[in-house]
Amino acid sequence: MTTKAAELRAARGSGREYWRRLWSNIKRDKWLYLLLLPGVIYFIVFKYLPMFGIVIAFENYVPFSGVLGSEWVGLKWFQSFFGYPDWINYLTNTLILSVMNLVFFFPAPIILALMLNEMRSLRYKKLLQTLLYVPHFISIVIVVSITFVMFGSSGIVYKLTAQMLGHPIKYMSSPDTFRWMIIGQTIWKETGWGTIIFLAALTNVDTQLYEAAMVDGAGRLRRLWHITLPAIRSTIVLMLILRMGSMLDTGYDHLILMANSMNRKVSQTLDVFVYQQGIQQGRFSYASAIGLMKSIVSVTLVLFSNKIAHMMGEQGLY
Amino acid sequence: MKKLVSLFLALAMLFTMMSFAAADEPFEITVMVPEFTLDVDYVEEGNPILAKIEELTGVKLKMQFVSNEGYGDIVSTTLTENDPPMLMAVTDARAPSIIDSARAGAFWDLTDFIADAENYPNLAAGPAGVYNNISIDGRIYGIFRSRAFPRAGIYYRLDVAKQAGFDREVKTIDDLTELAEKLAAVSDDTYALNMCSYAAGTISVITVAMGAPNNWGIDENGDIYPAHKSPAYLEGLNWLRHLYEIGGIDPDFIEIPTSEWDNIERNGKAFMRFDCLDNAHRQQEWFENNVEGVTEQLFQSVGPVAKADGSISVWPQNNGFAGEILINKKAVSEEDLPKVVKFLDWCNGPEGQTILNAGLEGVTYWVNEDGYRYVPDDKADEASQNSKMYLHDFNQLGMGVPGNLENPPAVQNRGLTTLRERYANLNIELAPYAVTDPCFPFVSQTAVDRGAELSQIISDAAVQYIAGVISEDELKAAWDEWASKGGDQMTAEYNEAYHAAQ
Repeated sequence: MTTKAAELRAARGSGREYWRRLWSNIKRDKWLYLLLLPGVIYFIVFKYLPMFGIVIAFENYVPFSGVLGSEWVGLKWFQSFFGYPDWINYLTNTLILSVMNLVFFFPAPIILALMLNEMRSLRYKKLLQTLLYVPHFISIVIVVSITFVMFGSSGIVYKLTAQMLGHPIKYMSSPDTFRWMIIGQTIWKETGWGTIIFLAALTNVDTQLYEAAMVDGAGRLRRLWHITLPAIRSTIVLMLILRMGSMLDTGYDHLILMANSMNRKVSQTLDVFVYQQGIQQGRFSYASAIGLMKSIVSVTLVLFSNKIAHMMGEQGLY
Repeated sequence: MKKLVSLFLALAMLFTMMSFAAADEPFEITVMVPEFTLDVDYVEEGNPILAKIEELTGVKLKMQFVSNEGYGDIVSTTLTENDPPMLMAVTDARAPSIIDSARAGAFWDLTDFIADAENYPNLAAGPAGVYNNISIDGRIYGIFRSRAFPRAGIYYRLDVAKQAGFDREVKTIDDLTELAEKLAAVSDDTYALNMCSYAAGTISVITVAMGAPNNWGIDENGDIYPAHKSPAYLEGLNWLRHLYEIGGIDPDFIEIPTSEWDNIERNGKAFMRFDCLDNAHRQQEWFENNVEGVTEQLFQSVGPVAKADGSISVWPQNNGFAGEILINKKAVSEEDLPKVVKFLDWCNGPEGQTILNAGLEGVTYWVNEDGYRYVPDDKADEASQNSKMYLHDFNQLGMGVPGNLENPPAVQNRGLTTLRERYANLNIELAPYAVTDPCFPFVSQTAVDRGAELSQIISDAAVQYIAGVISEDELKAAWDEWASKGGDQMTAEYNEAYHAAQ
């Protein structure tokens, strides 16, 4: 046993000692613990209890027979999924979209936050911030409709590019443009909202550092590079790790709205497949099995990236 | 003292109310059906139709309308509820989740009730063939919702065709081609055929008209084969591809949502459609109501269309029914079951059919001297509003198992009855030519497991072929993909079931 662990143990006290101390702590800070209670109940009721439902991934779940009464089929659904040759296609589509998201969308709020941070007029900055949040509150259905109006075959963008290039680009019905449209819509909708956490991190930067740097003759870019960015580095890493956890999440509503016969080869992701199987066709077991696999991969990715963060000297998630 | 008296009075009132309720308590039936009327909310409070139903049957109806868009999703989730509605309309009677649930005993088995002609005469009067089509393992779990058969077909803008130089009846495929080509040449901004992202119906109408089977065919050896293996299927696709090439179809039709389909015709952007024939008179009536000065017939529905060899085949939009009404076992006890079935029987009788489909006299319709339903001109707005508020989508509960028994019968008020009448007549005229799906009554495990993905391969490839995105070789490659991913297995399973039933 390392000395560190031994110390920890000594500090905690062993067995009864530990519980006694915990109880006296609770007694002392009862109001704080009371504040914690709703959160604990929330997690138990909505996060832990539903986990028992995972068992249906190993059953041929028929709602009428219930979770306990349905037939146990073991790994049938997993075999069925990997037995269908398209699963590799769904996985690649999911990963490509996620990686594109990471490369093009993830940095966008950081850049925007840095730009906002450099604004001189505080009032203008506040106004701009508010306006930038607006797209987040627009339903994805509306966003897709707006896209149709602009990029569809009678839309202004479609006609302009057709005139400029001499041939039309089928933004809405081509497998080549599909992913770019999705990323574009995501950037338009979520970049402003994504700045919040980075702007919050930026407020923690010590302004004396800037003054000192200015005295030393550092220009705006230098200050940005040597003071601002390092200050929000841990926030960026934290967000990146969290993002890793949802690498396999593409959402389904956005993709289903944009999908059609022309782009199905690239629009079919794991989430879309889960939705089609689970909700549209009512095959809850199959959908749960795929969902379970996704979760396992996601947890692995989070643990893995957290480890890397530690190796880079960052604090990481925990 | 005053307080005591008032308390006593209140208690007395409560008791009388309770005893009254106990003596004459209406039987409550909860119903879930798809909702199409989205512009006006359903009104339950003081609804004269509900009151009339309660008066006639002693049943207090509690309607739950769920938007038709995504209705199937809601059915899936309703199956998991502990307290589902007693009656539930299902639009896809062959959905895997419905079959699984029926087998697990989620719905009451109605086979014996349907055989009981004495107590349930209207249900017993339904055609055995259709009951057989919705049966699962030989048992009947639902009452089918009867629909006009074959219902699907071709209609076009009569006035535009005349101006374009086509002034005769469409009787052959060649006529149809000529009409389509002339409509395509009308102008650069307009198109001949109205297509949208839902292309499957359009494709079925033309391929079956060319001689292809409906989903599955039977070859000369008596074996089942998929429709796309028939040369006529490719002919049909080529017909559409040709029309697309000459500018007769919107180049970006696949981007057009289904909800815009009607509007394209209303805006005069396209002049022909392969779809439900009843849409012809609906569009006609829309023009009459919304465009100044429209009095003449604008739309024409097409009768039987003959192939080169003179034979005729028609794609039926349904199998004589559209979904079914199921009784959830979780919501209805065994002793209540006969009451619920009795109510379903009433829905299928003359009284029930009239109320569910047309509403009440003096509320949603009036009766003219010939004994037909009509709406006087000065009451049109009132009737339309009442119909949306009170009748809403009650017709979704209408089944019409023994055929149409509405009394008084319907008649159009505007005098332009030709298209409506023609629709009724066409359904009778076209019915003998309807090509049915021989595999419909059978269940294939592969179809349950992968049917949706597999049919998507075929329909996506067809759309891409029509739009000139892929070549004929690539189309056939997609068919091979279908075969290797489970299509061949599905064919084998259907063959086995089909031969076993012979």
